Amino acid sequence: MSPISLALVALLVPFGMALLLVLAAPLRRAGWPAAWLSVLAAAISLGASLSLLAHQVRNTGSLSLLEQPWLPHAGRSLVTVGVQVDGISASMAVIVTLVAFCVQVFSLGYMAAEPKADLGRYFTYHSLFIFSMLALVFAPNMLQFFAGWELVGLTSYLLIGFYYRKPSAARAAVKAFWITKFADMGLLLGVILLFAATGGFSWEARVDPAAITLLTLLIFVGVMGKSAQFPLHVWLPDAMEGPTPVSALLHAATMVAAGVYLLVRASPLFAQAELTLEVMTWIGAITAFGAACIALVQTDIKKVLAYSTCSQLGYMVAALGAGSVLGGFFHLMTHAFFKALLFLGAGAVIHAVHSNELSAMGGLWRKLPLTAITFIIAALALAGFPGLAGFFSKDLILEAIFEEQRWGPYALLMAAAFLTAFYMSRVVFLAFFGAPSEAASRAQPSPWSMRLPLIVLAIPSLGAGLLAWSFAELQGLPYQLHLGPTGLVASVLGLSGIVLAYLVYARRSIPLSAFASLAPIGASIRSAPIDRLYQALYAQGALRVAALIAYIDRYLIDGLMNLSAWLTIVGGRRLRQVQTGNVRDYVLVLVGALILLSAWSVIQ
Amino acid sequence: MIAALGFGIIASVLMLAAIRVVSSPDLVRSVLWLALVLVMTAVLFLTLSAPFLAGIQLLLYTGGVITLMLFGVMLTSRQAGVEIRNEIGAISPAVLFSTILFGIMGGAIYRSSDALPRPAFASAPAPDTEALGRAFLTEHMLSFELLSVLLLAAMIGAIVLARRRDFGAPEPAPPSERTARADEETRS
Amino acid sequence: MNLSAILLLAAGLFCVGVYGLLTRRNAIGILLSVELMANAVNINLVAFSANSGSPLGQVFALFTMAVTVAEVVVGLAILILLFRSRGGVLVDAAQELKR
Repeated sequence: MSPISLALVALLVPFGMALLLVLAAPLRRAGWPAAWLSVLAAAISLGASLSLLAHQVRNTGSLSLLEQPWLPHAGRSLVTVGVQVDGISASMAVIVTLVAFCVQVFSLGYMAAEPKADLGRYFTYHSLFIFSMLALVFAPNMLQFFAGWELVGLTSYLLIGFYYRKPSAARAAVKAFWITKFADMGLLLGVILLFAATGGFSWEARVDPAAITLLTLLIFVGVMGKSAQFPLHVWLPDAMEGPTPVSALLHAATMVAAGVYLLVRASPLFAQAELTLEVMTWIGAITAFGAACIALVQTDIKKVLAYSTCSQLGYMVAALGAGSVLGGFFHLMTHAFFKALLFLGAGAVIHAVHSNELSAMGGLWRKLPLTAITFIIAALALAGFPGLAGFFSKDLILEAIFEEQRWGPYALLMAAAFLTAFYMSRVVFLAFFGAPSEAASRAQPSPWSMRLPLIVLAIPSLGAGLLAWSFAELQGLPYQLHLGPTGLVASVLGLSGIVLAYLVYARRSIPLSAFASLAPIGASIRSAPIDRLYQALYAQGALRVAALIAYIDRYLIDGLMNLSAWLTIVGGRRLRQVQTGNVRDYVLVLVGALILLSAWSVIQ
Repeated sequence: MIAALGFGIIASVLMLAAIRVVSSPDLVRSVLWLALVLVMTAVLFLTLSAPFLAGIQLLLYTGGVITLMLFGVMLTSRQAGVEIRNEIGAISPAVLFSTILFGIMGGAIYRSSDALPRPAFASAPAPDTEALGRAFLTEHMLSFELLSVLLLAAMIGAIVLARRRDFGAPEPAPPSERTARADEETRS
Repeated sequence: MNLSAILLLAAGLFCVGVYGLLTRRNAIGILLSVELMANAVNINLVAFSANSGSPLGQVFALFTMAVTVAEVVVGLAILILLFRSRGGVLVDAAQELKR
């Protein structure tokens, strides 16, 4: 099949499935049939994406484009919709569909206890999500991209708020939606600016230098929201209220990666804006470091992983800021796999001990050996253990930053590497080793539906590094494996982090009190101050603005209406007095008119 | 000279009578003053070499209209012996308006007085009755016929309107009360 | 005889008629004033006719005379009707147009 048809299949089969499940309510409410159908759709989409990738690998550098004119304007079409198949979109499509498929299979086991109607709803949202994400991935121009982006935001809201009956979940969904919507305004303004500057929405437009900085900064604001960069990261920890497979899909691999994908796609635009790239590098590095710090002190396993995602996204953003598109994109891919694996593994653990807290776990390697092994593989990959996937991608990034001589970000990212290794090892030691807690000793092994995806995802976590060359070729970017001092230092930092964690948490030879001096720092960098700031901003800012507008509406606009009504009534009353009913008055008026007419005719 | 003097007399009598028409408190007197106005107009017509018109004026107006007016006055004031009041309403706007109107028309006449041909009554052939008759029966025949239709219609209309309705319309109440009530209404 | 003088006379007569029209409360009084105005118009017409030698002015004057007479006739008929239904011919009493 042609690449275009494959892309359309990957795109439209999940959409069709979502539509079917939305319309055929009985089917949806039956639960299990909906689940199986959705998984099937995901599988088809995955198959199509893999074929597409294979095709791209065979014909490297090929570009297939389908453009359907959409909004007519001044003779030509203002906007086109369609699919663009090239190395970038094909790779991303595989990432998205593979993780989505694994997550859906995992959900078959994880969500088995849910009521049937809710189950159907869950899988409907999943299918919708695949469609939205692929619409974004295959977008040939920024406007369709934006449409997919918004749809993804919607799906995120629906999935985070899946347990909508729980108030905290509902609030978390709204918070995520609110913050990303706020960021999306920036993106929208950027898109509009792009149109104003170039008359189109193309990815590769050349923009006037005067406009490019503002344009790209606005787009970056959108990225900051979606990819949870500082200071718009506050929604991500709260988003853990959703089911764990959802977190694996949205908040590890795909949705948050959409921001990075945008930066990759729009790199021709960003390449023209020096200032924006500088800002990106700094924000990425700060986020990477800050989020890693916060992850250290979390007791909820999902929150650790959430902040870890924040941190890794910071790496990607920093990489793109340093101009290394390959670094950012490659890390996106490797991160998608091992982070999804980590989340699913955490899901398996949570499912076994019925709690998110690390204190409820312990010694689980005996009860859940497969989970433990895959989780450790993923953790090592994340920490950048040499040879595993994460090592290669992180190395690329660090090398790029080094080459650009951005020392500040470089230092932050190196420190973050240390911290990453530390907090991941902490989780591993606390959850899988040591003395089991009450709940942990009663843990049951997970069903096969939950273990299979773990295995599937472990493979790329192990071996993706080897694909670096073909990956780079696919994007048409140069790649050189460079094992220099940076890689060495990073590896040393990672290993020392692991060792330190071992000493603190496994052997308990270094008591936690040694770190007591750092506690104030930990407390201050938790999200709470930022959350409070946003709360204040919202209450003072947005609500005040709303009150002002309400005032204007009530007094000025309604006042105008009332004024016109009053004028009409009073005027009518006065005018009515002219109608005296007295014939003589009418005659008077008549004569008066006569006078006026004669005067006028005389003057003429 | 004599012509001017004659005209002056006619004009002044005319104006005086007209003013008495509108200012006389007694309605019957007003009607009679109107009769004088109409007679003077007929005389004026004679001086303007329109004898036929003068005759019609005397017949139609002075004879017909005045008679009708007198009848109307008598029919619409049934109080025996009570003086027929002829009430005058607000004066000032009326004075104002008529003065202004006169000013406009007078001004127009004065300003165009050069354009008007000077006294040429003597020299110009004034239209005589024969010419009038001819004009009626040839050029303005249609209007002439329509005029007769109009008169017929007016006649029939008047008869229909003034007929006593026989289908039980109640006799109006004694006029004294009703006029009093009407006055109250107008005062409110 | 000066044409302007005659025209001025007619104008004066007309204005007196207007004054009467605005002033009189009795319906017959109004009719009288209208008569004055019509007369003024006739004088005007005849004067012009005599001045220009064309019989058209007199023709027109004759027409207006006839129409005015018709108008007086019908007006009086209405007046009588009015009088019958309300007992007075004061124009002020005709307040039907008020509400």
